[in-house]
Amino acid sequence: MSFEPITGRYLTVTVAGTAHRIYLEEAGAGRPVLCLHTAGADTRQWRHLMNDAAVTDTNRLIAFDMPWHGKSLPPEGWETQEYLLTTEAYIETVLAVAAALGLDRPVLAGCSMGGRIALQLAALHAPRFSGFIAIEASDFQPAWYDIDWFHRPDAHGGEMGAALVSANISPFAPPTERWNTLWMFMQSGPGVFRGDLSFYTKDDSLVARLGQIDTAQTPVHLLVGAYDLTCTPEDARRTAAAIPGASIAVMDELGHFPMSEHPEGFGPHFLDALARMPMPRAAAA
Amino acid sequence: MLATFQMVQDRLNDTPHLLRLGRLFSETVLVEIDGQEIYLSFEQGHLAEVTPGPSRKTPWRFALRTDAAALAEFWLARPQPGFHDIFGLVKIGRGRIDGDILCLVKNLRFFKEVMALPRAMQGRVA
Repeated sequence: MSFEPITGRYLTVTVAGTAHRIYLEEAGAGRPVLCLHTAGADTRQWRHLMNDAAVTDTNRLIAFDMPWHGKSLPPEGWETQEYLLTTEAYIETVLAVAAALGLDRPVLAGCSMGGRIALQLAALHAPRFSGFIAIEASDFQPAWYDIDWFHRPDAHGGEMGAALVSANISPFAPPTERWNTLWMFMQSGPGVFRGDLSFYTKDDSLVARLGQIDTAQTPVHLLVGAYDLTCTPEDARRTAAAIPGASIAVMDELGHFPMSEHPEGFGPHFLDALARMPMPRAAAA
Repeated sequence: MLATFQMVQDRLNDTPHLLRLGRLFSETVLVEIDGQEIYLSFEQGHLAEVTPGPSRKTPWRFALRTDAAALAEFWLARPQPGFHDIFGLVKIGRGRIDGDILCLVKNLRFFKEVMALPRAMQGRVA
């Protein structure tokens, strides 16, 4: 028997006065890299990179399930609440987890809505991090669909959400990982994908903040898949162009969930992104 | 193009997981290619009839309108970006989806995989 190097633990953080029991996984040693999953999914999207020695030999990857997602429970009283993620709560959650873990200026790597919030943090809380890898991240995406489709009593929101986001997966993705990626969406709790989309498709506050990101202090590197219909290369290029000094790479054969849908294809791009981030003195020593 | 959808009809009958996914789907879908109408009438997941248009008397639940070149690219094993999904066709301006979109979304995995069946047929020939 051989265990994977990934370990999982729980911690409780307080966000906006409410306690949240958070599940997190980590692997590797060295520079801390805090990883954020996409909407409607969870930490499992990062498992391939956490099992990749080329990444974990010099980096400590930590990923956590946002409240309501994966194995992180919704808060007490959720049964009468409507889950609607906000920029403020998302920022506070990321900062609270980083602080609870005692992370010293980690690299922040986020995908999709995780990439969006990574750029918000780059604009508003840069000193807490050493650099930002924004994957499939754009300034703003209005919805072309009705987010209420994904939380209704007469249909399975997870299955509908998975069928919708399958449009963002590259035909180069290995079938096994395509379906593993979609399974996470199918498993998301009632209304969770909708609540994430509310943040992703309605809050355009990042647009005005992109110009204040100081990449001389904390580098920003964007990665975007050519097959991403939600955050297209055009969207990511527009976003990168608004951040002075940001770099961007287009990944020809990947889609919206690169670390999950096609880990072999994504690995070199992620390693390149990490190489662009400064190595903190303590971790480099 | 009509022949392709008639092959889809046969192929669907040989695809048990799609028949299971579509077991509650009994609707007529209009596929319009370069202005040529084809009506796909589904019955409990089976493609019961493939009927060429034009018709002003055939009610349909939702419609996918595109062009033959776009559909040919869509049916490749690895289409170019945008051509790889029916919503991609819409995004790049090579397709349009009308009608009861919620009905489509409720049955989205089923309909997408039915529309993509010619990819598997090409693979089998190759």
